[in-house]
Amino acid sequence: MTLRTMLMAATIVVALASVGVFSVRGRAIWTVLRRTRPVVRWDRIGERLLSVGTQVFGHRRMVRIPLSGILHYFIFSGFVVLLLDIVGTIGQVFRPGFGIGPWLSLAVDVWVALVLVGVLMAVYNRAVLRPARFHGSDERDAYMILVLIAIIVVGIVVHESFYPVVAASFFHVADPSLKSEFLGNGLYHVWQNLGWTTPTAGLVGYTVGYLMDIGVVFAFLAYLPYSKHFHILLAVPNIFFRNLRPIGELVESPPDETMAIRSFDDMRWKDVLDLFTCTECGRCQDVCPAYAAGQPLSPKMVILDLRDRLVSDWGRSEADAPPLAGGAVSREALWACTTCGACQQACPVFIEHVPKIAGLRAALLEDGDVDPAAQKVLVAWERQGNSFGQPARKRPEWAKGLEFPIRDARKEPVDWLWFVGDFAALDPRAREMTPVVGELLHRAGVDFGILYEAEVNSGNDALRIGEYGLFETLAQKNLKVLEKATFQRVFTTDPHSLNALKNEYRKFGFDKPVFHYTEAFLALIQEGRLPVSPVPIRATYHDPCYLGRWNHITEAPRELLRVLGVDLREMPRHGEQSFCCGAGGGRIWMDESGIVERPANQRIREALALPGITHFVVACPKDVSMFHAAATALGVDDRLRVTDVTELLAAAVGLRATPLPAAMAMGASE
Amino acid sequence: MRIAVLVKDVPDLVEELELDESGRGLAVDDLSYVPSEWDDQALEEALLLKEASGAHVSAVALDTGDVDNMLYTALAKGADRAVKLVGDYDRTLPGRQRARILADYLAGAGYDLVMTGVQAVDDLDGQIAGLLGGMLGWPHASVVRDVAVDSGAVRFVQEYAGGRMAEFRSSTPLVLGVQAAKKPPRYVPIARIRQVSRSAALEEVEAGGSPSESLAAIERLYRPEAQGHATMWDGDAEQVAAALVALLDEQHLRS
Repeated sequence: MTLRTMLMAATIVVALASVGVFSVRGRAIWTVLRRTRPVVRWDRIGERLLSVGTQVFGHRRMVRIPLSGILHYFIFSGFVVLLLDIVGTIGQVFRPGFGIGPWLSLAVDVWVALVLVGVLMAVYNRAVLRPARFHGSDERDAYMILVLIAIIVVGIVVHESFYPVVAASFFHVADPSLKSEFLGNGLYHVWQNLGWTTPTAGLVGYTVGYLMDIGVVFAFLAYLPYSKHFHILLAVPNIFFRNLRPIGELVESPPDETMAIRSFDDMRWKDVLDLFTCTECGRCQDVCPAYAAGQPLSPKMVILDLRDRLVSDWGRSEADAPPLAGGAVSREALWACTTCGACQQACPVFIEHVPKIAGLRAALLEDGDVDPAAQKVLVAWERQGNSFGQPARKRPEWAKGLEFPIRDARKEPVDWLWFVGDFAALDPRAREMTPVVGELLHRAGVDFGILYEAEVNSGNDALRIGEYGLFETLAQKNLKVLEKATFQRVFTTDPHSLNALKNEYRKFGFDKPVFHYTEAFLALIQEGRLPVSPVPIRATYHDPCYLGRWNHITEAPRELLRVLGVDLREMPRHGEQSFCCGAGGGRIWMDESGIVERPANQRIREALALPGITHFVVACPKDVSMFHAAATALGVDDRLRVTDVTELLAAAVGLRATPLPAAMAMGASE
Repeated sequence: MRIAVLVKDVPDLVEELELDESGRGLAVDDLSYVPSEWDDQALEEALLLKEASGAHVSAVALDTGDVDNMLYTALAKGADRAVKLVGDYDRTLPGRQRARILADYLAGAGYDLVMTGVQAVDDLDGQIAGLLGGMLGWPHASVVRDVAVDSGAVRFVQEYAGGRMAEFRSSTPLVLGVQAAKKPPRYVPIARIRQVSRSAALEEVEAGGSPSESLAAIERLYRPEAQGHATMWDGDAEQVAAALVALLDEQHLRS
């Protein structure tokens, strides 16, 4: 048997074995995928391809952590180049004299070097820097993969270096690419000095190098679907099939019976694809406010625990197997989520964590497993239509002290319909600002009205607690009055209401434009309808999750602050990478036991690290409540004033004095 | 064990209560109604009994208005059957007449255990359970919790003033006024209630008109009347403290 016959036979055997092992797992996954719920992700092909371009080939999210982004780019691009090597190497065995040409051969050797640098950087990252985000990931798997990659690229150089010998002695062809394979060529000279260029040495060396390369490549392929490295194949489709609808929309269309996820069949196919695409990089865990607060939730572990559960029985659980919600993923983890969406925003492969968590919460809720305080709020929403359990007639009471009447949008046409929201209407602190908003609109000459006691909670949080039926009930109550009213646009100070009205009510046919007050007042000022004088304070701005991340409204509030003459300093985490106050997804009403440090407190400390900041500006009624409490708890409310944008607007138009922290206010009065 | 849980709805005290024109009752048309919270406790205790020892639970309500949703909710929570006693009555039905209608139904319905809330916001003296026991000639206990089935008999704990309590064991049939369930009443999602209301039917039992019972008549219903006024002390801490000390001296409360 000649060397070529032997290598060809070995190649065919390992390739078949590899494809066999791969397809066992591949078929199992396919079987599960076929039973899942449908979701349309084949639309807008152009945008999808563009996403793949920027996120896969541009590594846009990856490079947010520069070291990881760069090392990954080296290794990732190496895989593209590896394909050239596989063609060239198998080709030269199966068809003597075959080559990929000097330029491609040069590229292979350049990337061999880059991949090795990447692997060393990865080892340095994992072994020396040890970022906390890897906690909980399968470290052995990660090292295993790095070792396999190193073996493959070293193997490339080894078989290249012996190729001149076997080309002459066994394949009886010339080696056309020797010069450009500079690594293989260099090593060949080493062998020459050692006298290892005999036919026997060439036979052994080439075989070893060939198997290190092609043999391990096929072993790697077989190993892929059993490891986090499946993302090599799945990341591209997972990014291609990303959610291109407004991301603030948690549920695309009314579910048949329930949104609860009890088995993998209840997931959308993309959710299952997500599980196998997860790279265990832990970027989601790194940005999760619940995880940072010391609660037992890591978005990464939610995905991994679901994946591990799926591969343990392929979704064919016995009746007595522990449930997904409260079993595979603990109830404490599920109820800890603030639905802030930072995990999804950080994920380089566009995994959607929040819909899975909400679906699992719905399953808990169906079994009556819900935080007692949150249960009270659910009942209050159903009975009174607000989270405070207050009678509906109290909802418009904030408007009583105003010197002008607010129009009743149920009875007469208005230009702007102001959807007030629970907190702005009923929270003792947040509602202090609500009449001021009314005064500002009045002063700008806006023709506006409210729905008075007919408005109920938007249902945004009910949906995120997993109570679709209650969300729908609330939405229908609002839509019933909204549909009868005549107005051009919706105006709100509350990002949670904004999200529901803008994104969640679309499935019921509501399509009126919805504006946040930061956008609306910026426009009024720019149109000259609300003259302002500067408010010279140094402040930082906190992006509410449901404004910035879920609705991409990050520029308008900043531009508004600039127009008001505020010296704006950014916290490290801002814009769509903002850090949640901890209130979303119903968390504001839930038990806080197990929290080591509240996300809101961490956020205030983040602001305090900025030099000379006197104001912490917020643009969400819930934030007013959350951050006031945090500043007080930390004992810094005398030097850092939590301020709603409304207060600054009121100062800028001369309605109110500039709000100052106690320490400054005392200084000013002396 | 066949259990009947008697449920009713009561005015939502979150809303402002108004008197009607006669001054002898509430203006019921302006009220919104919610399930009585003690009946919720009774239902929960019955469902926990069912889960522990396999009882058959029926939720029973008098059709004094819009009780369907309350009964569907009971079914969605896990009750096996929902019975609506229909007849010509409304929410002003006095407790004694209510008890008579319920007793007439319960007498022949084959239940072993009748559970209801110990009281309701419109029946703070908790008469329904006691009246039923008397009318049916069955044993009765109120202010009970920790109900358990024990080889055909029923065990429960009755609470007394001062944190004292007694354990009882009673034969059936039996009427209990439940103070609290072992766990807070469970939540049931709205979608589940809707699903039940589409798939399950309420059992309607004709219960006739209002029975004649000797009733105490309400002469006048009125808001609490102020007997005096609080005195507010102004001034700084020193002045307020001095006023407080003076008052204690005046009342001979300082030794």
